[in-house]
Amino acid sequence: MFEHDFLALFPEIFLINATLILLIYGVVFSTSQKYDYPPLVRNVGWLGLLSVLITILLVAAGAPPTVANLFYNTLIKDNFTYFCQIFLLLRTASTIAMCLDHFKQESLNAFETIVLILLSTGSMLFMIPAYDLIAMYLAIELQSLCFYVIAASKRDSEFSTEAGLKYFILGAFSSGILLFGCSMIYGFTGITNSEELAKILTGYEITLFGAHSSGIFLGILFIAVGFLFKITAVPFHMWAPDVYEGSPTMVTAFFSIAPKIAILANMLRVFIYTFYDPTWQPLFFLCSIASMILGALAAMAQNKVKRLSAYSSIGHVGYLCIGFSCGTIEGIQSLLIGIFIYVLMTINAFATVLALRKTRFKYLADLGALAKTNPTLAITLSITMFSYAGIPPLAGFRSKFYLFFAALGCGAYLLALVGVVTSVISCFYYIRLVKIMYFDTPKTWILYKPMDREKSLLLAITLFSPTPFFLYPSPLFLVSHQMALSLCL
Amino acid sequence: MLQSLAPFHSNLSGLILCPLLGSIIIFALPDSRIRLIQSIGLCTSLITFLYPLIFWVRFDNSTAKFQFVQTIRWLPDSNINFSIGIDGISPFFVVLTTFLIPICISVGWYSIKNYKKEYTIAFPIRESIMIAVFCMLDLLLSYVFPESVLIPMFIIIGIWGSRQRKIQAAYQFFLYTLLGSVFMLLAILLIFFQTGTTDVQILLTTEFSERRQILLWIAFFASFSVKVPMVPVHIWLPEAHVEAPTAGSVISAGILSKLGTHGFLRFSIPMCPVATLYFTPFIYTLSVIAIIYTSSTTIRQIDLKKNIAYSSVAHMNFGTIGMFSLNVQGIEGSISLMLSHGPVPSALFLCVGALYDRHKTRLVKYYGGLVSTMPIFSTISLFFTLANMSLPGTSSFIGEFLILVGAFQRNSLVATLAALGMILGAAYSLWLYNRVVFGNFKPNFLQKFSDSDRREVLIFLPFIVGVIWMGVYPEVFPECMHTSVSNLVQHGRFD
Repeated sequence: MFEHDFLALFPEIFLINATLILLIYGVVFSTSQKYDYPPLVRNVGWLGLLSVLITILLVAAGAPPTVANLFYNTLIKDNFTYFCQIFLLLRTASTIAMCLDHFKQESLNAFETIVLILLSTGSMLFMIPAYDLIAMYLAIELQSLCFYVIAASKRDSEFSTEAGLKYFILGAFSSGILLFGCSMIYGFTGITNSEELAKILTGYEITLFGAHSSGIFLGILFIAVGFLFKITAVPFHMWAPDVYEGSPTMVTAFFSIAPKIAILANMLRVFIYTFYDPTWQPLFFLCSIASMILGALAAMAQNKVKRLSAYSSIGHVGYLCIGFSCGTIEGIQSLLIGIFIYVLMTINAFATVLALRKTRFKYLADLGALAKTNPTLAITLSITMFSYAGIPPLAGFRSKFYLFFAALGCGAYLLALVGVVTSVISCFYYIRLVKIMYFDTPKTWILYKPMDREKSLLLAITLFSPTPFFLYPSPLFLVSHQMALSLCL
Repeated sequence: MLQSLAPFHSNLSGLILCPLLGSIIIFALPDSRIRLIQSIGLCTSLITFLYPLIFWVRFDNSTAKFQFVQTIRWLPDSNINFSIGIDGISPFFVVLTTFLIPICISVGWYSIKNYKKEYTIAFPIRESIMIAVFCMLDLLLSYVFPESVLIPMFIIIGIWGSRQRKIQAAYQFFLYTLLGSVFMLLAILLIFFQTGTTDVQILLTTEFSERRQILLWIAFFASFSVKVPMVPVHIWLPEAHVEAPTAGSVISAGILSKLGTHGFLRFSIPMCPVATLYFTPFIYTLSVIAIIYTSSTTIRQIDLKKNIAYSSVAHMNFGTIGMFSLNVQGIEGSISLMLSHGPVPSALFLCVGALYDRHKTRLVKYYGGLVSTMPIFSTISLFFTLANMSLPGTSSFIGEFLILVGAFQRNSLVATLAALGMILGAAYSLWLYNRVVFGNFKPNFLQKFSDSDRREVLIFLPFIVGVIWMGVYPEVFPECMHTSVSNLVQHGRFD
């Protein structure tokens, strides 16, 4: 237990301070005539990476084996938040490492991108332990605002501006819906705290017609829709492909997964703990089925890399929602395993995409003859694609296997069936990348610059670290089990 | 020192690790030392071929239990362990695998031009996966390993295949097989939920309710019927076999199609005996249709490889009839046929590969009168053509004869219709051989003449020895499998 609330928040405090110091450092020195207006993006980037790594150490050092409620129950720290925060910080560290060389190549002089990435990471560190509807909403907004800015950070590109605008409008809209849901809940119960809400809503039977209060039902519905917007689940996914495509690649790499970790953590907290009730299950069943189907079918017709990745991430959100909508311990556990493996695969895929930037890497066909020009990278990307597709000895199979396992365990046979069929369909476009690299012989061979050390290290780590999960899967299994337990009990 | 090593190398895991080790060594070598790479690949695969002799000597014929069982903890919380072992049935499949891999590597010695190192790596990796499949005693992992084969096979067809159509073939192969097998994954998960374990030895003693057995059986069937292949889902096979490089065809005809029958034998029949009896007429119908249909299709093919591919579909379905006659003769016959079906179509694919390397075409109409330019080759291919139509004295005859004996006891109509397959088999084999080897030589199309060289004859030699040995003295094989097969039949109370 912590004797003082601020002690428990030490990692967050450190990260915010580091962000501010970096901001001041960047502003002062990049406008200093004495140093001839230096581009500081790499300096700030390295320092930012360093501060994220220190934050990981701080989080790890504060390992709370027990639960700690902070600030009058506004925040909570337990095993679940502990591991989620570490996941998230690892993800941020890898994004910054990926971008370092990219800034130099693209001659971008915008150190504030790094500052914003750190700030949004800080806000997500608050999202994960949020234990109160207001705290949750505030953290989500801070994170979203950072993202709106960095999505539109490339001012000379129309796509980036458009992406930023779309992201902003739809993000603000979904936040509005979320907020409306929160206020409904508050209006009908008079409470915003998760623990108190859980006490009230236990055994409440929130169905629309049998309910004691349809206001609570509406509140939960709106909150669910707001969240589904944020994780790009299917009926509310329309912004994702455009935004993914338009934003600069490193930004896409960051917000294709980092907010999903935080939002899914939030959703688990809100829906599994606070509103624990089977009534919201059908909604997520439906979204999960729709996401899987749309992700599989729509990605088939894409020929641009980033749009493909957008639809594939929609599909993966569908798979993750399988675990979520079961609401059992196995379900949560499989969701966590799924996120972890998905994070690894996505880092790998985006590091490859960022590494392939001679002129432009926009279309899938630009991968042609990569097996000849850069065989190692081709093998890496193929293995990642096979893993995305869920072919057995690779990590992606592990995550899908647990998810289907959980779905069958809670009796959702249809969900498992749809998942299985769509995962076969999605194989088609994942192995199309392999086909383009190995089998096609295009007219023009695009030669890419060799990648820098950070990206290659990252690629190696993300390629080889999933392999032991096949040979020795128990650690990941135990960790996720602990997280799931601490969430439910 | 040696004594402390002894328990290790008599373990089955050593057998799996051996080719894997070889491929890791190759991986570390530079591309330029291609001869060294190929020799290392060949040596490891030869060692792996000799390795099972240890198990052969120490194998106990008198028990149906799994022997040399070795368990490595994998996922301790949920009782999914990496456990391997062999009984009377699996050694044949293992031997077949280890027999064919050195052949595959030596076939590509000169004819493979690009990505040679990857070629040499791909085959040992596949070998260890396949051995793991046939020895695996865990249901979930015996789903994992056959699926793992998809990746190397997809790449083998796609990269070293001969024509542009290969991409379609690779896709068909990949998607058909995957779609079939994911249903099996669901079935495995269902089983796991009922029993809490996926250990085959425990599952064999578990009784499932009749409804569930039928469900499980259908899910398993979806996977195995694609791999065998049964009739409606056999489309991928001719495509994949035709477009694959020679070694790829050898391996997919010789080993890959055994995955399905091995699965039927190992999982469907012993684990769902009631459903098996229930679905036996269904299997009979499909198999008979497949035999007659594919045999007739074979007659009108103009591509040499497609011809052999279709005939191999017919033979595999002959095997399923024997397997589902559910008596000792039928099952033993079916296993013998599997064993003989390894070398025979593989050797025929090698023959076609030899022709293709020389003349760069596989269409029948460009060939003719080869007997005057390639006498040695003609003799060899005559031998294998006769073996393919199961001439008495060759290995296939034993298998087909036992299958017919077994099938007659169960259902004489099926046996009669299946016997039609033998006649049709003779028809297409001889008709094809006639067109290619006899008749007028066509000098307009075939300009270069060279008969089989020493390397090719050496490659064919083990096949010839194996086929004749099994045909003339088949005693060794039933002796090994008899106890296990009888146990299988008694376990399901099929008699």
